[in-house]
Amino acid sequence: MSYAGVTPSARSRAMVRESRHLLFTVAPGAIWIVIFLVLPSAYLMGVAFMTNGPYGLPEMPLSLGSFERLAGFGFLGWSPGNLYTLLRSLWQTLVSTGLVVLVAYPIAYYISTCRERWRPIMLLLVVVPSWTNQVIRTFGWMNLLAPGTPLSSLAEGLGLIAPNMGLYPSNFAVTLGLVYNFLPFMVLPLYAAFEKLDTAQVEAAQDLYASPVRAFWHAVFPQTLPGLLAGVVLVAIPAFGMYVIPELLGGGKGMMLGNLVANQFSGGANWPLGAAGAILMLIATFIGLYAMRRIGKRLGGGEEVVI
Amino acid sequence: MRKRTLKRSLTGFWWFTLAFLYLPLAVVALFSFNASNSAARFTGFSWRWYERLLGNEEILSAFANSMGLAIVSSTVALVVGCLIGYGMYRHRHRKLGWLIVLIYLPIVLPDIVFGISEMAFFVQVHRLTGFLQPGLGTMIIAHVTFQIPFVALIVYSRFVGLDPTLFEAAKDLYATPIKRVIHFMLPTIKPALISAFFLSFTLSVDDFVISFFTAGPESATLPIYIWGAIKKGISPEINAIATLMIAAVAIVAAISLIFSRRRQA
Repeated sequence: MSYAGVTPSARSRAMVRESRHLLFTVAPGAIWIVIFLVLPSAYLMGVAFMTNGPYGLPEMPLSLGSFERLAGFGFLGWSPGNLYTLLRSLWQTLVSTGLVVLVAYPIAYYISTCRERWRPIMLLLVVVPSWTNQVIRTFGWMNLLAPGTPLSSLAEGLGLIAPNMGLYPSNFAVTLGLVYNFLPFMVLPLYAAFEKLDTAQVEAAQDLYASPVRAFWHAVFPQTLPGLLAGVVLVAIPAFGMYVIPELLGGGKGMMLGNLVANQFSGGANWPLGAAGAILMLIATFIGLYAMRRIGKRLGGGEEVVI
Repeated sequence: MRKRTLKRSLTGFWWFTLAFLYLPLAVVALFSFNASNSAARFTGFSWRWYERLLGNEEILSAFANSMGLAIVSSTVALVVGCLIGYGMYRHRHRKLGWLIVLIYLPIVLPDIVFGISEMAFFVQVHRLTGFLQPGLGTMIIAHVTFQIPFVALIVYSRFVGLDPTLFEAAKDLYATPIKRVIHFMLPTIKPALISAFFLSFTLSVDDFVISFFTAGPESATLPIYIWGAIKKGISPEINAIATLMIAAVAIVAAISLIFSRRRQA
């Protein structure tokens, strides 16, 4: 738009009109998000620095007590419970993300080698289970892993679990649930990477008598790295804050950070402690987002792969 | 030779993964037809759990809550999000970094942090002013908050995909801005509006964590009801209602497949 040849007053009037237009279109939604999300999150962060009152509600004065509680320091001295929960969240995130990569990589490659008309259907088949409600999917695994089911009996027969225990609740069940839940998040970006793979590089490697392993490592793997890393962020961040799966499949000994946080707002009733846990989760999220941006800039195409 | 074994083992792995993905859903569907209430052994076919659903008032009201919540929140989000999407497009040459951050915030915030901060906020506002009592109202507010970004981004990308000269042409053709909106803008972005509405609707129906924390005692949606029933002890009725929800997703998947086929052809 150019205002050449227009008098200054008309130009400023046009700018005012444009600004008003911006205000009318953007303001309702922006104000909505500020009131109903920015303010509440800011309040939650404030709560983390307050003292726990008698009814679990936050009170003045300000203190770092909730962070000490999170690290395990309580009235009765130090106990490792909360730290175990934190470490378990990290461990579950690492293991499940690793397993998701191991499953998703060959699947994404396989889809990209199939006939073009089948590929959308195959991708849809991978994604559709994640469209069903998370609670229902997890409930399905409860049914599969309960004591007396074929899978549990098999594990019992192999001596992997004690008799009549069933495979759930357990940390194993949580890992399985996480892998199940996040598989599509990894397949999609990896598939996008395989789809635009430059096969000339692979052929060049083969022409130079590279072994299949070396050809893969030097010609294929680097090209899929942006998709892989994007997938890792998409899986690891929500896995770290997962609530539903550990709550249903983990039992008392499978609790993760999300459950620790949620419990402080219901049963345990210690808002400041819960808020401190939420801050930890936010930090993890922003590290992940920052990593993703760096990946996108360094390797190119990372961000575009995600969307 | 080696290549063929690779391909064959990949095919095997593909079917194994598909079994892994669909087994839990298949088990839920199978046991919804179980004649006995055992969760481990299938003893015979029956419709009894589905018949029980129809008489279960809690489930029916949870269904009504889910639908009402989804329709109202998607409609509000459609209006508000559409405005933002257009504003972002029209003023895309300005520095709107803060707006982008604001719009991505609901998407990137972990569910549990989102739900809990809203809950804490609503509880305190209710304590101080009496407004925002936890219930369907607070759930609608929370749902609209996470739906706005998706609507805005869909509408925005539709506008970006249009030929900019169309806007000039519309300006020449239709005198008033209101006529321009009715006769040009809304018809051209109609596909985006439809898909944005359906996406918001699905997100709302599918959501559990955020609904769970912003709900009141009387405003359980289907996922919240199922959650409560699981916590109380598994009953075969859950299998039946869950199977119906899985069937709904399967139908949506089939429709989307048909549409993508048609677009390809």
